Amino acid sequence: MTPAPRRVRFGVVVFPGSNCDADAHHAIGNVMGQKVEYVWHGRTDLEGFDCIVLPGGFSYGDYLRTGAIARFSPVMNEVARFVERGGLVLGICNGFQILLEAGMLPGAMLRNESLQFRCLYVHLRVENTDTPFTRACRPGQILRIPIAHAEGNYTARPEVVEDLERTGRVVFRYVNEAGEATPEANPNGSVANIAGIVNAAGNVLGLMPHPERCTEELLGSADGRYIFESIVAHVLAEGGPRGPTAGSPGGGVVG
Amino acid sequence: MDDSRRKLYEGKAKIVWEAGPGEAGPGAEAARTYIVEYKDDATAFDGKKRGRIGGKGRVNNLVSALLFDLLEREGVPTHFVRTLGDREMLVRRVKIIPVEVVVRNVAAGSLAKRLGLEEGAPLARTVLEHYYKSDELGDPLINRYHLRTLDLAADPEIDRMESLALRINDILGGALEECGLRLIDFKLEFGRTDTGEVILADEISPDTCRFWDTETNEKLDKDRFRRDLGDVEEAYEEVLRRVTAGAEKWRVRRRGARASGGERPAHARGEWPAHARVFVTLKSTVLDPQGAAVENALRTLGYDEVKSVRVGKFITLELTHLSPERVDEMCRRLLANPVIEDYRFEVVPATAPPAGSPPPGAPTGTGGKGQ
Ligand SMILES: Nc1ncnc2c1ncn2[C@@H]1O[C@H](COP(=O)(O)OP(=O)(O)OP(=O)(O)O)[C@@H](O)[C@H]1O
Ligand SMILES: [Mg+2]
Repeated sequence: MTPAPRRVRFGVVVFPGSNCDADAHHAIGNVMGQKVEYVWHGRTDLEGFDCIVLPGGFSYGDYLRTGAIARFSPVMNEVARFVERGGLVLGICNGFQILLEAGMLPGAMLRNESLQFRCLYVHLRVENTDTPFTRACRPGQILRIPIAHAEGNYTARPEVVEDLERTGRVVFRYVNEAGEATPEANPNGSVANIAGIVNAAGNVLGLMPHPERCTEELLGSADGRYIFESIVAHVLAEGGPRGPTAGSPGGGVVG
Repeated sequence: MDDSRRKLYEGKAKIVWEAGPGEAGPGAEAARTYIVEYKDDATAFDGKKRGRIGGKGRVNNLVSALLFDLLEREGVPTHFVRTLGDREMLVRRVKIIPVEVVVRNVAAGSLAKRLGLEEGAPLARTVLEHYYKSDELGDPLINRYHLRTLDLAADPEIDRMESLALRINDILGGALEECGLRLIDFKLEFGRTDTGEVILADEISPDTCRFWDTETNEKLDKDRFRRDLGDVEEAYEEVLRRVTAGAEKWRVRRRGARASGGERPAHARGEWPAHARVFVTLKSTVLDPQGAAVENALRTLGYDEVKSVRVGKFITLELTHLSPERVDEMCRRLLANPVIEDYRFEVVPATAPPAGSPPPGAPTGTGGKGQ
């Protein structure tokens, strides 16, 4: 009697020079068993997707500023509309930077305080489990997820940071093994050890660490799965984004 | 005048005619042209002061013809086709953009009054103004935002008018200098051809320019009429004499330039190449890790005088024409991130000035700053 469970449909945007799109595709499709498709940066229609992933890696050679040019690609207009319809957007590393450049999340990225490219596993504390991206996590849970970036030093005006904190929009913070947000645990100098934030509506997450690179124990950690599992659980419970035309909801299950 | 002509418009200084049969060459040309007749009537202060200046129609027609011809040769598109006798010229039909573009090099007239500058004070930078051509409103001064709001011209058209106006200023400034005339300021009107091209129209004459003698600063323009300075006719005739003599020299030089080979310079193709230099730096409120590292390194090398270092970006742009507003927009939209960065830029004309004219002067660009 029970129909086969609906699979969540992910789109992974491919910018010229992206190099993490294949990782994201693999993690979502092969590991998580969800539907996943590449979305070319020139594409202007995102109908039918539940979640769009802006993957890490370089885009357009990261000339000028990371993400500065990518954000003018045609697909980004469509991503903005997708967000308005309530679709989920996950920006990872460079994808986070594109969301900042596009003004879909507040703040900006500076060079790492060390001026070095940092590539290592970090500990993240989940600060808010009441988001579509963290509902499968326990409050305060510590995740081990790798970072790989030279420009991940998150900054924003003090009043913006205060607002993010007050409204629970700081979703992930860099911490040490004991779960403390110390300066030593901060790999890039981000203000308040911020590693990931959501927009006010809660459907756009940007984070510097790479959950798509740690969904299998084989690779050293499977903690990235929590984020994808959260997204899947959220879409199955709440349905996908509103269709661009009335009467074509993306999801069939009502929570 | 011909009876079969149709009068389209009679203004305060000129009459616009649709040519009668055979008057304007073959039928196809007639359909694309108007005849402009220059009158001796003079008005000032929005028509409140009226009079006549004997011979003015002839002077304005011939001076306009010589200056349009010079501009055409330098690559500025104009409506001028040819003169039809002393008081008339054949021009290309256009739809006039109802905006007067005023270029000023020296403080005079309404600018001196509005900004409290002494008449004759040289302006550090060329000033460009727009006035809305509206008799009911008394031709008010407007800016780009007003132009957009009233939908008087599209943004690229405004850019085009401005860059042409500045080029015209450079060409005329140099050429008139050779005739002993200082170009203080002038007013231009532009129009759209049937293909949408923006070209220079109306007139360039002592009615629409301020000319001062280079030696004595004596006024040789309509201010003599406005202010009852006397010798009005003589001043107009003097301008015609000097411009006619100058035109002879300009023509010889162009012939020489062409004979000595080389293709037409870029500025003669109706463009005004410019270089923009954009500087992007992190806001002072933002920590600059690169700057801090360089500062440390310099101190280590013994440069104790270094108090602080900020590292930024330097971007050069080559532009087909000069438009500070658009460079500013480029900075805001792409070149700088206003959340963390400040920017500043200079725009400099790239081509050498026409021979004999003064250098284009100080950089014409303006600086911008992130919010
Ligand atoms: N090539 C052209 N095609 C069509 N109209 C033109 C052309 N060149 C000039 N004009 C217009 O012809 C008119 C010339 O008349 P004149 O300069 O005497 O007008 P005016 O009294 O100054 O009034 P106004 O300029 O405010 O209309 C102006 O309106 C001018 O804009
Ligand atoms: Mg007029």
